[in-house]
Amino acid sequence: MENRILHSVTGLFHSADEITQAAKEVNKAGYKKFDIHTPYPVHGLEKAMKLKRSTLGYIAFILSAIGAISAILLMWWTMSVSYPLNISGKPFFSLPAFVPIMFELAVLTASVVGVVLMLTIFFRFPNHSHPLHDTEYMKAVSSDKYGMVIESDDPQFDIDKAKSFLSSIGATDIGEVYWDNNELTAKKTIFDKKFIFGLVGLAIIVSGGTYWLLNKAMFKEPFNWMMYQQKLSAQSPTTFFKDGFSMREPVEGTVARGYMPYPYPADSAVLAEKYLVNPLEPTVANLNAGKAKFNTFCSPCHDYHGTGQSRLNGQFPNPPSLQSDRVRNWKDGHIFHIITMGQNTMPSYAKTVNETERWQIVLYVRALERAMNAKLEDLK
Amino acid sequence: MSSDIILYEKKSLPSKVTIIGGILLVLGVVLSVLSFGADNLRAYYNLIVTLTMLYSVGLGALFLVALEYVTSADWSVPFRRITEIVAGLIFIIPLVSIPLLLNLDTIFVWLNPELLHTDSYVAGKAPYLNTNFFIIRTLLVFAIMFGFYYVLAGRSFKQDKTKDPSVNKLTSRLSAFFIPIFAISITLVSMDWVMSLEPKWFSTIFGVYYFAGSVLAALSTVTFISIVLYQNGYLSKYIKEDHFYNLGALMFAFVVFWAYIAFSQFMLIWYANIPDETAWYMHRAGSWYYISIGLIFVKFAIPFLILVTRYAKSNLLVLKIVSVWIFLAHYYDLYWMIMPDYTIKTASNSPVYSWFELSTPLIVVGFVIVVFMLIAKNKNLMPVGDPKFKKGLEFHL
Amino acid sequence: MSTTELTYEPSVIAGKPSLKQIDESIIKPMNEVPNKKFFIAISFTSTLLLIGAVALGFTFYRGIGLWGNNNPVGWAFDIVNFVFWVGIGHAGTLISAILFLFRQKWRTGIARFAEGMTIFAVMTAALFPAIHTGRPWLDGYLFPYPNQHTMWVNFTSPLLWDVFAVSTYFTVSFVFWYVGLIPDFATMRDRLKVNSTADKIKKKIYGFLSLGWRFSNRHWAHYEMMYLILAGFATPLVLSVHTIVSFDFAVSILPGWHATIFPPYFVAGAVFSGFAMVQNALIIIRKVFDLEYIITLDTLEKMNKIMLLTGTMVGYAYSMEFFIAWYSGHEAESFTFLNRAMGPYAWAYWIMISCNVLSPQFFWFKKLRRSIPFMFVISIFVNIGMWFERFVIVVTSLSRDFLPSSWDYYVPTLTDICILLGSFGLFFTLLLLFTRTMPVVSIAEVKAAIDGSQPTHHSIGHGEDH
Repeated sequence: MENRILHSVTGLFHSADEITQAAKEVNKAGYKKFDIHTPYPVHGLEKAMKLKRSTLGYIAFILSAIGAISAILLMWWTMSVSYPLNISGKPFFSLPAFVPIMFELAVLTASVVGVVLMLTIFFRFPNHSHPLHDTEYMKAVSSDKYGMVIESDDPQFDIDKAKSFLSSIGATDIGEVYWDNNELTAKKTIFDKKFIFGLVGLAIIVSGGTYWLLNKAMFKEPFNWMMYQQKLSAQSPTTFFKDGFSMREPVEGTVARGYMPYPYPADSAVLAEKYLVNPLEPTVANLNAGKAKFNTFCSPCHDYHGTGQSRLNGQFPNPPSLQSDRVRNWKDGHIFHIITMGQNTMPSYAKTVNETERWQIVLYVRALERAMNAKLEDLK
Repeated sequence: MSSDIILYEKKSLPSKVTIIGGILLVLGVVLSVLSFGADNLRAYYNLIVTLTMLYSVGLGALFLVALEYVTSADWSVPFRRITEIVAGLIFIIPLVSIPLLLNLDTIFVWLNPELLHTDSYVAGKAPYLNTNFFIIRTLLVFAIMFGFYYVLAGRSFKQDKTKDPSVNKLTSRLSAFFIPIFAISITLVSMDWVMSLEPKWFSTIFGVYYFAGSVLAALSTVTFISIVLYQNGYLSKYIKEDHFYNLGALMFAFVVFWAYIAFSQFMLIWYANIPDETAWYMHRAGSWYYISIGLIFVKFAIPFLILVTRYAKSNLLVLKIVSVWIFLAHYYDLYWMIMPDYTIKTASNSPVYSWFELSTPLIVVGFVIVVFMLIAKNKNLMPVGDPKFKKGLEFHL
Repeated sequence: MSTTELTYEPSVIAGKPSLKQIDESIIKPMNEVPNKKFFIAISFTSTLLLIGAVALGFTFYRGIGLWGNNNPVGWAFDIVNFVFWVGIGHAGTLISAILFLFRQKWRTGIARFAEGMTIFAVMTAALFPAIHTGRPWLDGYLFPYPNQHTMWVNFTSPLLWDVFAVSTYFTVSFVFWYVGLIPDFATMRDRLKVNSTADKIKKKIYGFLSLGWRFSNRHWAHYEMMYLILAGFATPLVLSVHTIVSFDFAVSILPGWHATIFPPYFVAGAVFSGFAMVQNALIIIRKVFDLEYIITLDTLEKMNKIMLLTGTMVGYAYSMEFFIAWYSGHEAESFTFLNRAMGPYAWAYWIMISCNVLSPQFFWFKKLRRSIPFMFVISIFVNIGMWFERFVIVVTSLSRDFLPSSWDYYVPTLTDICILLGSFGLFFTLLLLFTRTMPVVSIAEVKAAIDGSQPTHHSIGHGEDH
């Protein structure tokens, strides 16, 4: 006689009404460790079995809240803290734009984690070694019969009493189900060797695969085509042009923006004098501006007062004094012309100071000249 | 055998309720009339809020009646008569519209001749936004409402006596026919009375937005009245918690639907940031900002969190409170949609609420009660002639 | 007419089959070798799939230049097909989740098949955003993971919301579908007669997939709750996914794209086109697999009513868009809509209107609602019309927008068309494989819905039970 351990006593019923009634009876009889198996969910059976309401509803709600909060934290961190970017002027933390993803992640978390929790924790699935599997009982209840089992570890279990109880409430095909000895001793814990090895193997495959994919495969043809492009990069050599330069010079005749040609040739100050008139008024602002520019650009050679005795100390030929009568008698246009075109050793300052600034310098020079040649009437 | 069982016994409603309703109504009307004397324009705006609230409850209730026929729902049959009676509000809508229709040029800027002269956008809408066409559209909506009330609710009233089951077939077909026509009507109401207050603004979803709120207003009214009647023994004793659970679930669904539509409208306009469109929302920022944010909590977050629980939907007291809350939330929504335009016109742009505005809830609640009591007089409060009546009472979750 | 006739609610299953008969008729296809018709069908769909795969291979190797996309029509077949297929997926979730919440029993016979269609449609749809990125092998960057560039995805972009939405939709639909399949896998595990090694392998696979389900009512209690929760989540998920797809267009400033009604309009359109596709597939399936007693004519009629409803909603959206385009007074808006009706793509526009607005109107008539050949043809028209709706929205708005000097006409290339054909091939191949490897009807749900399967509930006047 094999030393098999009894798991439970089973009985079959043939209608939904019968099994509901049977559930009430087995509760009345005081059994606690029993179970009912039906091929589809029968309404009202939970009440008849006096089962507590499933907590999955609350769990799902909490999970969805977790999902939404995680989403908002993710988006806040990435978009507002870690690498904020100005995307069409939207604020770094733009709640209206974050709502869709919050919602999606809430639903995803609640559904997936909820189902996984249900399967692994509530049901303890996968479980292919339950004694009821592959029995005639299971074949019946998975198709068209309704079954009840009274488990042997119920406090008031007695095999004969249980069997007679079952037949008293109308069960047919009363049978016994035994544990398979090898299944009983096999303890399935989470630290199962196969499972751990499987996990480790999976981790190695995934990480190795990802590494190879991103660090090696992406650099092979054809994935690397975009890395080597025929476009010309700044300051790099190229074989495209004969001179080997990527940088090209502007086409002949190119002018800068805002360029206006200066019509008076270098040696015709007379013409400049005749036609150029200072458009600026000697206001405080203009004079101050002119002073600033003069001090910056002109004073190294001409000195702060225009005398020509500058801090260059003759290392560079001293320019003639601006305080001389000759210069005093020049019209504004003449001075402007010289600043623009240069004269003798003096280069053109046209690129350094723009037209307005030149006229401001002219105004300042005039003020300097008047200052050095002040008359008593000027004080009034 | 089943004829021995009395599913419903008619009890006559107490007249003191009518009196209370009448007092509220009179009080509201008095406040409204006084407000016309004090600030004409503000009174008109409040009258628009009143009108659109009545449209919401009345036309929304008629929609609920049609919805039941179209979906062949069983569980709502016990409540259909109450919904039909609430829909009778549509009959006083023309009355409330009259002061507005006679003074369109005071209210609507698209009748302002100076604006029509200077602003080509507004002038371009003149073929649609002009007094005559406006009145025609209003009358058209009246005709639709009255016509379909007669065929949908009227046939149901008659069926009580004849107990003729063949009535349902035609009523269902007419209900199906009504649904698209209702869609157009409620779109016209929302666009004409609310959207055209700012004629340069437009939103294709506006009709749907107003529809979502209206269904909530009607549903909450029906729920509240049904619970009160049930608790005082005016309905069948066979109605169960399960029936009210469904009403709560439907309210929940529409709270979510409203929030979805409201968010869509807002987010799309915010995202594209086109000044023409954002103007409407900008007018509801500034000093209106907290009221705008409040709308999210009042009409979505709080009802959502309450109605998502099984407890709230099965508890009649909570359902009553939530119904009142949602009803007032729709009023809040309409106030938020309509009044900012008034405050802009007066260049203050800060929200106003005082005895002027109280006329609206008083008039609306007053009319709901009075109209209900008047129509319900001598009628059954449940559709006893409907062949699905018994099945509807037997409904269980 | 008697009371019973008018309150007659057609029972979910015609006739009164026994539970065992239900088992057998649903499991039959998985036990038998497929017949010639199946092989012809699957070779046809596989050929389409192959054509698409070849076209796709060329696209990966040579680049998006093989497509007809130009400037300004940067989005064409790729996005039109994406929206089309996602829309089809939505009908499945609506049938399985939303009709479940509304306690519409008639969904039982078609829910499983519809869910399967959802998953395959979403898989097909997800291909398109993946392949249209130009360098699809870098699609991993679409997901926010910490990378060596320390850059993140743009969470304010609807294109990214799509990534989350479609992934979530696929995952949740798959989970919902799988959870529903667990009891059926267990039934198959227990009923399969082991006659050969192939059968042994089959039983092992079904057993593995069933996770050890034992039909215990303690489990059913949690299962039912989870199913309700999944249905409750799947419903707003469906609405949100196609809403987010509509946001792809509506957040822009393009006339014809930027309309606030896009979210509910797209959702209604998705349900509309999805139901048409489901209708087409179901009509074929019920004939081929002798499932007429489960997928009854009443079920098909109800689906036609839903098509009429959603078709009318789409029509409402068309009229609102058109009216507001005039009302807004913006020249560009009015032009866009006139251009749709009378410009170079007018042919596409009128196909769309006649197929979407006019053809479902025939369903006002009961006789036509209950005629299977007629509804099959109308469903095909609706499918065509809804594809053209997306085409009209995407292509006409892009081809002629604000600046006339940028206008251009889009013509699809052979590659475009082959990829479209391939998507149909993929969808139908997967569907055909599904019909032979898994139960196309939910065994447990059908059993729960037939007359007499639930405890008798005493009606009023015949004694109380509780």
